[in-house]
Amino acid sequence: MFKKYLLGLASITLFFTFISTVNAAEPNYTITTDATYAPFTFQDKHSNYVGIEQETMKAIAKREGFTYTMKPMSFNSAAQLVSNGQADGIIAGMSITPERKEVYDFSTPYYKTGVAWIVKKDSKIKSLKELKGQTVALKTGTAASEYGKSLQSKYGFKVKYFNDTDTMYNDVVVGNSVATFEDMPVIQYAIKNGMALKVMNAANPGNAGWYGFAVEKGKNKALLQSFNRGFAAIKKDGTYNKIVTKYLGATQSTFSGSKKDNGSILGILRSNQSALLKGLWQTIELTFIAILLASIWGILLGVLGVSEYKWLRAVSTTIIYVFRGLPLMVLAFFIYIGLPGVTGVKIPAFTAGIITLILNEGAYTAAFVRGGFEAVDRGQMEAARSLGLPYNTAMRKVIMPQGLRIMVPSFINQFIITLKDTSILSAIGLLELTQTGTLIVARNSQGFRVWAIIAIIYLVIITLLTWLSNWIEKKLK
Amino acid sequence: MSEAQTKSKIHVDKVNKSYGENHVLRDISLDINQNEVVVMIGPSGSGKSTFLRMLNQLEKPDNGTIIVDGFDISEKATDINKVRENIGMVFQNFNLFNNYTVLENIMLAPVELGKMDKAAAEKKARELLDTVGLVDKADVSVNSLSGGQKQRVAIARALAMEPDVMLFDEPTSALDPEMVGDVLEVMKNLADSGMTMIIVTHEMGFAKQVADRVVFFESGKIQESGSPEQVFNQPKNERLQEFLSKVMHA
Repeated sequence: MFKKYLLGLASITLFFTFISTVNAAEPNYTITTDATYAPFTFQDKHSNYVGIEQETMKAIAKREGFTYTMKPMSFNSAAQLVSNGQADGIIAGMSITPERKEVYDFSTPYYKTGVAWIVKKDSKIKSLKELKGQTVALKTGTAASEYGKSLQSKYGFKVKYFNDTDTMYNDVVVGNSVATFEDMPVIQYAIKNGMALKVMNAANPGNAGWYGFAVEKGKNKALLQSFNRGFAAIKKDGTYNKIVTKYLGATQSTFSGSKKDNGSILGILRSNQSALLKGLWQTIELTFIAILLASIWGILLGVLGVSEYKWLRAVSTTIIYVFRGLPLMVLAFFIYIGLPGVTGVKIPAFTAGIITLILNEGAYTAAFVRGGFEAVDRGQMEAARSLGLPYNTAMRKVIMPQGLRIMVPSFINQFIITLKDTSILSAIGLLELTQTGTLIVARNSQGFRVWAIIAIIYLVIITLLTWLSNWIEKKLK
Repeated sequence: MSEAQTKSKIHVDKVNKSYGENHVLRDISLDINQNEVVVMIGPSGSGKSTFLRMLNQLEKPDNGTIIVDGFDISEKATDINKVRENIGMVFQNFNLFNNYTVLENIMLAPVELGKMDKAAAEKKARELLDTVGLVDKADVSVNSLSGGQKQRVAIARALAMEPDVMLFDEPTSALDPEMVGDVLEVMKNLADSGMTMIIVTHEMGFAKQVADRVVFFESGKIQESGSPEQVFNQPKNERLQEFLSKVMHA
């Protein structure tokens, strides 16, 4: 029975290795970007990424004759993937700063920028001094947030960090934070699109500077040269100006669908149908593969945990201790962003997500599997051994069947937790349901309606999963 | 197995066992012959159950030698599973496998250990159920049996491996009084058939009736041993006298 499990596990591992090899073999550049950064990068109504940066990159690649895969994610992840060699370049409204020049090589600047400080449209705040004791929203890892942070001690405000632009804006709009700092062109574009905010220093941006395309320091010289050559060319022939005018001269809704669609839950569902279905499918895929593999891994670990050999029990206890102790997101970042920096082996986000779930959920599973086996009356083992049955046979024939029955409710519980935990993987850029929600909100600013839709979808799949589990439980009995 | 070793079925020499500070067995030596029925009596905590559980290594001695059927089971290299196949054990709390029917409980070990094929094991199991008077219960779940029935199934399960030694650890202590008789009768029949048996029990009447030898444990030592006649009617040891006066009046 266990040989079969092992075989299954091995073939699934092979399958993932295969997938990652295929991905790694694509003969082009991987470019990361900030998924929610209009007018530079954002999703249009067909869930395609558009914006000044996207069209610029496309125009340059065409002229220079290279191909690339664009990976939209949070700014922070986008920057880290390039700095640890998982991706080749980043175009994500990245301001050229002396600090970043230590880590990246920058292209010729492509857009002038500076930092704005921003409050709610009807706010009474007039100067930075009035921020004392109040909360200011900042986006992790951006130059604008560095600038905001540098003013913190002088003006005595509190800081709250966000991973994407839109959630940060909304925090100010709903009044949780009183102000935020953001790159001038980005906030001006957002206000033009109806974001209820106002810029307090339009004439006098802080830290005036430039956006640049970046590669890891000392690496990808050819890509950087191509970018510079291509950019010079499209600037000279007017292509670049056309792109900029196209986006700044129109509102975001021109690209991302009409306002009308966003006014009702049905409208949002209709206009985002394909994105939501894709996200849902990704969540389901992650959940089921993770449940299957984490259960197998957890049972193996749990069985080791009741082994007759002390050292095997110690191995099991240690693995459970480590992976139950690590927050899921830390583990995901470690596997996706941390490890490849050291090993040099690229791990696709999906595989990294699955490995994260297997290790984390598997540790929890192992803990209750071990507990379930230990909960079986000691006399059962003694009776089996007294008949001459070896330890492993006694475990397999007598203890495990009884222990597994005790564990069924814990398994169902763990399945539901696994499903919910897939949402944390949005942090490494997996386009599952939660990340899909983030992107849709970034486009239509309908936080309440979109998150209500996402919440209901989760509840529906959890209900279906619970039904399925209960049905299996009945079949087992 | 050499001829010299077959003289006694079980040979125990200077065995000690402690749980932390608690010295439960002190220098125990005992020889048990083929076909002999030995009954061990003594107050709770005297070490008699621990001693019994050492004979099939459910407990390991701290030191000393235990030789069963010529196999030194205190030796690490000995395959304890092989030795156990030859030693049946019956527990106070029955310990029937809850996930199997009565028949499956009895068939499990012979089939798993390759001693019999399924058909032979089932035939054997039904015969054994017949001898313990439970042939009509073959296909029920063990949880539906009474205590007395469970214990008789447990005896049948142990006998299915065709052992030549049977260990009984207070087999009637967890039973309602009206169930005790049926179990003792099965044990008596087994003794009459010539099985080597070591029994820990508080049933003095039964001890008198079936024992070839009665061994009295107290404070981790064998204080006295002899025929039932000697032990029950002419006890020499003071502690044994005291113990008997308590249990006989109860």
